[in-house]
Amino acid sequence: MYDVIVVGAGPCGSTAAKEAAKKGARTLLIERKKEIGSPVRCGEGIGEHNIEELGIRLDKRAVCARINGAVLYPPDCGNSITVRSKESKGYVLDRKVFDKMLAADAAKKGAEIIVKTDVTGLIKNGKRIAGVVIERDGKMERMEGKVVIGADGGESTIARMAGINSTATLYDTDFGMEYEMANVPVTDMIEIYFSNKYAPRGYCWVFPKEDGIANVGVGIGGHVKGHAKEYLDAWIRDNKRFRNAQPLAIKGGIIPVGEPLSEMVADGFIVAGTAAHQVDPIHGGGIALAIEAGGIAGRVAGECALSGEVEKKSLYRYEREWRKTREGKMRKRLLLRKALEELSDDDLNALSKMIGNREIDLLLKNDFLPVVAKIASKRPGLIKMAKALLK
Amino acid sequence: MIKIDRNKCIRCGACVGVCPKNALRLRDVIVVDNSLCIECGTCAKACPANAITLKKK
Repeated sequence: MYDVIVVGAGPCGSTAAKEAAKKGARTLLIERKKEIGSPVRCGEGIGEHNIEELGIRLDKRAVCARINGAVLYPPDCGNSITVRSKESKGYVLDRKVFDKMLAADAAKKGAEIIVKTDVTGLIKNGKRIAGVVIERDGKMERMEGKVVIGADGGESTIARMAGINSTATLYDTDFGMEYEMANVPVTDMIEIYFSNKYAPRGYCWVFPKEDGIANVGVGIGGHVKGHAKEYLDAWIRDNKRFRNAQPLAIKGGIIPVGEPLSEMVADGFIVAGTAAHQVDPIHGGGIALAIEAGGIAGRVAGECALSGEVEKKSLYRYEREWRKTREGKMRKRLLLRKALEELSDDDLNALSKMIGNREIDLLLKNDFLPVVAKIASKRPGLIKMAKALLK
Repeated sequence: MIKIDRNKCIRCGACVGVCPKNALRLRDVIVVDNSLCIECGTCAKACPANAITLKKK
C-alpha cells in the first residue's frame, strides 16, 4: 500500500513524487514510456526566471542553449520586435536529460519508480480513488494508494477515469507539430512568427539548440481547418532559411490553451500539470507551470495521505493554493489570447509598426491599459483587440 | 469507427485528449475502443499528422 501514487514521470509528476517523498510518504511514480523524457511533445523552452522562482537545479547537461531574448515577427516579417527583458531570457532544454534528472531527484528522496508500465484503470472504494490498476510486462496488477496524482499530460485520461471532465475541446486547444532540425541558421534568440496563413491561432517557432540544430514547429488552433503538419511543411517549404535543413526528429502534440480545469481534485485524487490544462494560453508553455503545480500537489498529497484525510475537501488545499498563485494571471493571458486571435494578418502587420518591446513587456506582465491606450485610436481591427483586453 | 494510419501516426496522444468518450488510449500505439466511438470526428480534426480518418458505418 502506497501513500501517494503519481501517474506520469514528466516534470509535473516527478516533482510531485519528490515532494511527497520528502514528506515521508511512501511514493510510487509510474511512467508509461520505456524511457523518461523521450519522446516529448514540446518545444523544450523554459524561462530563466522560472528556474530561479522554482529553485530548479539546472545541470548544464540538461541545457542545449542559453537564450538571451525573443524576436517576434509579424506576418510580413517586416517590423520585427526584439525583446530582451528578464522574462525573455531562458534556455532550450534537452528534455531527455532534464526529465530524467527530475525523476532521479524524486528517487533520491525515496520515491519508487516503474517505467514501461501503463495505468489502465483506477481502484475505487465507493466514490474514493484508492489506487491504480497497471499493466506491467503484460500482467495486470493492482497498486493501492491513499492518494493518486494524475500527471499524465495532455491526454488527461486518468482525471477522466476519476470523474473529472478534462476532455480537451477543439476551440480551447492548439495542436502542434515540430521537427528538430539540423543545419538551421540560428542566433541566441528564440523566434516567434505570427501568421494567419502558416499558424492560425498560434505561431511558428524556431527554438535554437546547439550547432545549428533547432526545434522548428507550429501550433494551430484546434477549430481551424487542416492539420498542424501541413502548416509546418508549408512554412518550411516557403522559407529559404530552411532550404538545407534536415529533420532529426518529429514531435507533436496537444496544447491546452483555454481555462485550467474547473475541478482539480476528487476523493483520493489530484490532477496537475498539462493534464489539468495548466498551460500558458499565449505561448503554450507548460514546463514551469507543471513543476510548480506538481510541487504543490506532491506536498499536499503527502501530508493528506500521512494524516489519513484524503477526501476532496482536504486535498482541495492544493487547488486553493494553485488558484491563489496562478488563476488570475492565467485568466489575463486568456484575455490576451482571445484578443489576438481576432487579428488579421493586416492587423498584425499594422500592430507591429505601432508597438515595440516596451508594449510587449507590458502585455506579458498583464498590464494591458497602456497598450490599449496606444492602439485604441488607430485601426478598427485593433479597437476590437483593445475592447477584448479590457473585458 | 475510426481508422488510424500507423505510418502517419506519431503517437503524440492528441486524439486521446479530445475524444469526448475517452475511447482512445496512448499505449505503445494508439488504441481505440470502437464500441465507445460515437463517430464525432473530433480526433480526426485534432490529429497534427492527419493520420485519422472517420469511417462512418
